[in-house]
Amino acid sequence: MPMPRLVSSTLLAGLLLASAAAAEGTLTLFANGEELATEGFVAPALTRDGWDLRFDHIYVTLAGVTAMQTNTPYDAAAGGTPDAKTTVTFDDTEQLTIDLTDTDADGRVRIGSITAPEGHYNAVTWSIVPAETGDWAGQSMVLIGTATRDGETVDFTLTSADGHDYTCGEYVGDDRKGFVTDGAEADLELTFHLDHVFGRADREATDSMNRLALGFDDFAAGGTQEIALSGLHVGHVGEGHCAVSLR
Amino acid sequence: MSVMSVRVIVLSACAKPLIAGLAMLLLAGPAFAHGALVDVAEVDAIRIQARYDTGEVMGNAQVAVFPPDDPAQPWLVGQTDATGHFVFTPDDRAGRWAIQVREAGHGAISYVEVGADGTTTITQGSAGLTWAQRLLMIACVFWGAIGTALYFRRPRPAKAA
Repeated sequence: MPMPRLVSSTLLAGLLLASAAAAEGTLTLFANGEELATEGFVAPALTRDGWDLRFDHIYVTLAGVTAMQTNTPYDAAAGGTPDAKTTVTFDDTEQLTIDLTDTDADGRVRIGSITAPEGHYNAVTWSIVPAETGDWAGQSMVLIGTATRDGETVDFTLTSADGHDYTCGEYVGDDRKGFVTDGAEADLELTFHLDHVFGRADREATDSMNRLALGFDDFAAGGTQEIALSGLHVGHVGEGHCAVSLR
Repeated sequence: MSVMSVRVIVLSACAKPLIAGLAMLLLAGPAFAHGALVDVAEVDAIRIQARYDTGEVMGNAQVAVFPPDDPAQPWLVGQTDATGHFVFTPDDRAGRWAIQVREAGHGAISYVEVGADGTTTITQGSAGLTWAQRLLMIACVFWGAIGTALYFRRPRPAKAA
């Protein structure tokens, strides 16, 4: 092969490789406590035992957040480990405490953005862990606010030191999420369902969520109290459930 | 107590009930200028049933079906019936079809792979056995193994000389 042709072929191969490597976009991760975090449990969506709750802060400490493209879609109901072909890690979330009441205009908390190979990120893993530093070191979730019922008002601080690992499949919501295309932005969301903790008065008492939820009566004395969140499946991806294990 | 979750079960990849409830309309007597006709044909279809893991069905839930070549845009939207069922027939696009079901703040998504030859493979949703079901299956296999062993160990009548 003459040298010029060899050089041009090499350059062409390099360009092809470069273009293939450039097939990536930006994946941004948000957390969302929904209106129950930002607006509170307001009538008719009171707690299952009839309390109006307003939150000043809802601190959650996250760790080990990864997003994956899987060969086979992850089935959270079946559990196990996602069959990942591509995994990206949000380094900023090695440990990060967020406040679900401190949101952007869309009611979400931005966790971070990373450059990610294009494809559909249809699985997410993350953990809720006790904070190593800060005012609430040792606690993984802290809910601070005011509860009102029948003219009685109590200030409360509910703390949990429980650690949980979440393994979730695809986000389920108004739109499908996680489609990263070359040079474009996509997003994913970790969603916290506070009604799984306190229940909802606008749902049937027989609703399985209400049967499991703690309600607020047990915390009506106010002040700082511990709350056990194990088994309540607070974390979701949109409306999609996750496999949860206690750390 | 069970945790509230949603599971979509693809019950059949080759059912043929889609148009079973329709009858051909034939106008009796002489034809009119704007007569209506319905052609009826059998088709292969996908049927899902959506339910919570408590067993409660997701009746009248929102359904969105996403095709493999445009997976962010719903190709078909509809509702489950009162028993949580929804039936649709994918077109000839091969690849992974996604079926999303949502109701009252809870949702699930399941998938069906359609091959170039029209064959279908359920990639999620059908294997969602409860632990009780799994234990029952294990017990049945174990009991079957014991029965088989006992059968071969039973005393055999001596052969006539």
